[in-house]
Amino acid sequence: MATRIGVDIGGTFTDLLLYDDIEKTVNACKVLTTPHSPDEGCITAVKTGVPPEKLAQADYFMHGTTVGLNALLQRKGAVVGLLTTTGFRDVLELRRGDRSHQNLLFWRRPEPLVPRHLRLPVRGRIYTNGGVYKPLAGEDVLAGLDVFRQEGVTSIAVVFMNAYANPEHELEAERLLREAGFEGGISLSHRVSGEYREYERTTTSVVDAFVRGVMSEYFGRLDRRLRELGFKGTSLITRSGGGSMTFDEASERPFETIMSGPVAGVSGTAELANKLKLNGVVCADVGGTSFDTSLVVGGRAELLYEGEIVGMPLQVPWVDVRSVGAGGGSIGYNDHGLLRVGPESAGAVPGPACYGRGGTRATSTDAAFYLGMLGAGEFESGLTLDRDLATRALQDLADELGISIDEAAQGVMRISTSAMADAVREITVERGIDPAGLALMCYGGAGPLWSCLLALDLEISTIVVPPYAGTFSAWGLLGADPTGTRARTRLLELDEGGIQEANEVAGELFADMAEQQDRQVAGSLPMRKEIALDIRFVGQEHSLTVTVPSGQGVITATPGEILALFLEKYRDAFGGALDIAVQVVSIRATAQQPLPARDDAVGLHTGTPAPRSACEAYSFTRDRYMSFAVIAQRDIDAGETIHGPAIINELTSTTYVDAGFRLEMDASGSMFICTTEGT
Amino acid sequence: MNKGDISVFEVPGSGAHTTEGADPVVTELIRNSLISAADQMKRALIRTSFSPIVYEAMDFAVVLYDKDIRLLSQAPTLPTFMGTMNFCVEAAVKGAGGPGNMEPGDIVLYNWPYNTGSHAQDAAVVMPVFLDDGELVGYAACKAHWMDIAAKAPYCTDTTDIFQEGVFFPGIKIYRRGEINEDILAMIKANSRMPDDVVGDLNAQVACCRVGGRELVRVINRFGKEVFDASIELMFNHAEQTTRACIEKIPDGRYKARSGLDNSGVDDVKIDFDLEVEISGSIVTVDLTDAPDALPGPMNCPLPTAVCFARVIIGALTDTLYFTNEGHFRPIRVKTRKGSLYHPLPPTPCFMFGWAAMPILEGTIRALGEALPELVPAGSGADIMALIWWGNREATGEPWAAGSWNPVGQGGSVHDDGSTAIHVALAFSRQGSMELWESKCPWLIESYELAPDSGGAGAHSGGCGVDLEWRILEDCAITSTIEQTRHEPFGLDGGLPGRSNRAEMLCADGTVEPFSKVTDLKVSKYSVVRLMSGGGGGHGDPAERDPEKVHADLKAGYISEPFARRHYPHAFAS
Repeated sequence: MATRIGVDIGGTFTDLLLYDDIEKTVNACKVLTTPHSPDEGCITAVKTGVPPEKLAQADYFMHGTTVGLNALLQRKGAVVGLLTTTGFRDVLELRRGDRSHQNLLFWRRPEPLVPRHLRLPVRGRIYTNGGVYKPLAGEDVLAGLDVFRQEGVTSIAVVFMNAYANPEHELEAERLLREAGFEGGISLSHRVSGEYREYERTTTSVVDAFVRGVMSEYFGRLDRRLRELGFKGTSLITRSGGGSMTFDEASERPFETIMSGPVAGVSGTAELANKLKLNGVVCADVGGTSFDTSLVVGGRAELLYEGEIVGMPLQVPWVDVRSVGAGGGSIGYNDHGLLRVGPESAGAVPGPACYGRGGTRATSTDAAFYLGMLGAGEFESGLTLDRDLATRALQDLADELGISIDEAAQGVMRISTSAMADAVREITVERGIDPAGLALMCYGGAGPLWSCLLALDLEISTIVVPPYAGTFSAWGLLGADPTGTRARTRLLELDEGGIQEANEVAGELFADMAEQQDRQVAGSLPMRKEIALDIRFVGQEHSLTVTVPSGQGVITATPGEILALFLEKYRDAFGGALDIAVQVVSIRATAQQPLPARDDAVGLHTGTPAPRSACEAYSFTRDRYMSFAVIAQRDIDAGETIHGPAIINELTSTTYVDAGFRLEMDASGSMFICTTEGT
Repeated sequence: MNKGDISVFEVPGSGAHTTEGADPVVTELIRNSLISAADQMKRALIRTSFSPIVYEAMDFAVVLYDKDIRLLSQAPTLPTFMGTMNFCVEAAVKGAGGPGNMEPGDIVLYNWPYNTGSHAQDAAVVMPVFLDDGELVGYAACKAHWMDIAAKAPYCTDTTDIFQEGVFFPGIKIYRRGEINEDILAMIKANSRMPDDVVGDLNAQVACCRVGGRELVRVINRFGKEVFDASIELMFNHAEQTTRACIEKIPDGRYKARSGLDNSGVDDVKIDFDLEVEISGSIVTVDLTDAPDALPGPMNCPLPTAVCFARVIIGALTDTLYFTNEGHFRPIRVKTRKGSLYHPLPPTPCFMFGWAAMPILEGTIRALGEALPELVPAGSGADIMALIWWGNREATGEPWAAGSWNPVGQGGSVHDDGSTAIHVALAFSRQGSMELWESKCPWLIESYELAPDSGGAGAHSGGCGVDLEWRILEDCAITSTIEQTRHEPFGLDGGLPGRSNRAEMLCADGTVEPFSKVTDLKVSKYSVVRLMSGGGGGHGDPAERDPEKVHADLKAGYISEPFARRHYPHAFAS
């Protein structure tokens, strides 16, 4: 039994899904996000979408939130003081010296999260091999603390050079700060990351120090309010690298959850890809302002071991999601006689012109609605679109460009599609994959609307629209297994001795996780441990992460087997390999506590069947208006086939099935849409 | 030199080409598709290249041209390579027998510096692109930095003719109808200190061009050849109009400024000359004719790179630097004098072409800025402050090598203070990690910190440069390309100059040895190498600086108290 509640807080809407493992039902609920205090919207969703007795029965509350991200975006977090090694006071400000592509002449690097007067040097130096070159000057730590106190610092980050190789100076600094009575949060870099590269470890530590207070307070408050409403289970939050962690753990390592939103949809895709036996899938998550895409190959999301948020790198596992500014709210405009779309978006306020909330500029949604792709524009959620307003906005755009209103509307759709397709080409080509051979998973409020257009542009022949497509991120949340990861840089030869040392490091990393994951998450299955090694050719800077065979948290593969795995991965990534020695750079340990599996075919709560009707809409494949069948998704039976042109309505999204496409309802509740004419 | 030796380079306008049949939607779709095609070439190259200088420093250019060698699109990489490839594609095709001699599956190799604009190491691969019916529709090309192709040293600051700088490929078919010419490959390998890297990168360039060719054909087939032809004309005209509209906003006039170089690399003669920018309606002319005759050392810049740098700075001024096409270049003219520093003729050495070109950027900014200080920022350190290191490890005898390029302070502008140290505008390269360096090289980094007082004072001050100190733990050698040590980063509109670039070695015996451009400088164990990068120039009268900012800078330690009291006494008046 594992009834669970998923709540995903997005920029505009807070989505809730209740998975009832007793009655085998799923219920969805959408409420407006409350940006000033996101837990308000979350609690409202719980009160609206979950009956009290179900809340009391629920085992897990699974959450995705942008609280940490917003704190960073709005720079509303702790006042952080940073202790650095003397000579390296400006690591945070100097970044990697790189600059953005934009604005060659006037570009300024972003303001660092900790201003220079709060970045203070401490004498003492560790060698690259962990030896002590100069002892720690404890008086510098205390002098720094004096300044921090005067300046109202509430959280301290300590980042010393080469601390990944020997943490003793950082630990000593922490001891001195505590002894001197500092009670705020202290983020030691070797605890936060354990990997080399001082700039990346500094930003990770500083972000940790910056958001920890805000996030632990948020988690505590939300958990308390859920319990007041009768919840008795475990609260979990998704991690940027997939999986989840308990609120307690997340309060200790908040930087691991910064990117929890878009990742949940990708995790959901990976889960579904496994069930549907799809080997390669492109995720197409289309919201109001952005198109988020990522790859799921062999049932696994593509993972990076360094993320980036608001221009700051984070040394933490990170699902590789790319965003472009193209979505339902993207605005079309005239650029010296060419039609451009986005990245500017009308957002939730004023929204597309057809929402009637004061928007006057033509958006993709206006274009789609004008072309009939959204049917009558009356949604089950109660929203009704205004055709006159959409037409007026498009007319203005068409007049400026000297084209017809139909050409303008089709142009907006085609150009936004092309921006999305280019983003997909970007992530596939750089891995040497041809997108045409992949399946396209379309979700998010507007994903299913674009599904056929994207498939045409990318020459993809199979589209999947998952169940709960409009709230699919929340569905993905429900499958996020509690996961812990740690990594440490240690340069090792790839030989028996090196593997032995790697196993020792892995043992320490697992022990460190066990300390924080102090108790098994209630109801979860036995822990699964995984070890990966970062390996590179000697002399190169870039390494590849290779998951190596292991059992009980100990590497079981021989050096030769590991080398073969590395070479295979290297060839996949770069097309060829070198004939030089390799070395191990870092050791990564992952511990996962799988939650009980969910049942497959749990449909959305269904009401009375709606009569099937028809409407006139524009067909991109036929280049003319034609009659589209209008069908409620919940009325389509498993195994039923529907030939396009058709428009499929669901509570949270609309699927546009163009002529030349055929839809089949899978027993799992996913809709497969295929071309019938080749591409 | 007499007047007959003056050359004016510009690309032709739209001429007789027609936009009939093009519309604003399809043209935008084609423009997007061409940008995406170049982007895919870039990703394919990064994915398959062997050398960090390609996949990390982005020292390459990838481009698509139409059959008339007009730029269709180029992916953003090193700005120094934006819009530089037309000369080289034209010469490569000519070298291989002209367009009539191109066949499907052919791939041409070319690296003659006077047409690539670069040194021998920057080798171009040019692939003709054909439709299925055999019609030649354009070229996919990729120029990338090879690690070594037989110059007198891996990196040279002291060559005296071109033949000391490498081996040359004057437009030869390395693939003929899809078949590789193994003889050429063997010759490349025999002429490189790092043959595996070079062949690996060459293969990556070929793969990259094939991606570009495939995508160009896909775009043309999708929209049809006639629609494609008309649409690219509209795309070029659109680009031309956007650039012209920006140039028109700059008041007409002739703007002049002093610019220069430390020396030629083989002597100690400081180089100074006037650069002139003429704005006339929507046309801009960059006049480099006052530059001296070609120098005896490698500090010469072949015409393609002189043109490219003019395009880069105008592109930056008009905000059209990226996603450029032929149209953006139409309003730009570049005037040079044949046989001069900016139009050297064979066999003039030009290994340091990029450094030689730098004054075109700084000079153009300064020329415009002294008359129109709101248009541009003040000067920067204007150099990538590069050191190339090598040696053999004491314990094992294994060879090691490392390169480091370092950031400089940026000039203040009418908008704001200059940024503290970031890489010079031309580099996308990222600073190495000190911890990573220490794990690979026999170094202990003593300090990598902003240098107080290094930015010029002004109402908007220049950003600080950096001080970087390496303690060297084992004997090794350096080639340094540090430039602009004799010209201060200029201030504008009453702002003061920033500090100049500088470098020195503190030997174990206590002596101090300053250096700038030098090849194979021996560094003995326990010496300290100290690099001090330039600060940005100030913008506006220091007396107008907000006293609160002065005190904030003082508190943060960007400036010292004596500096603050000297330049901003008004902030201390009670």
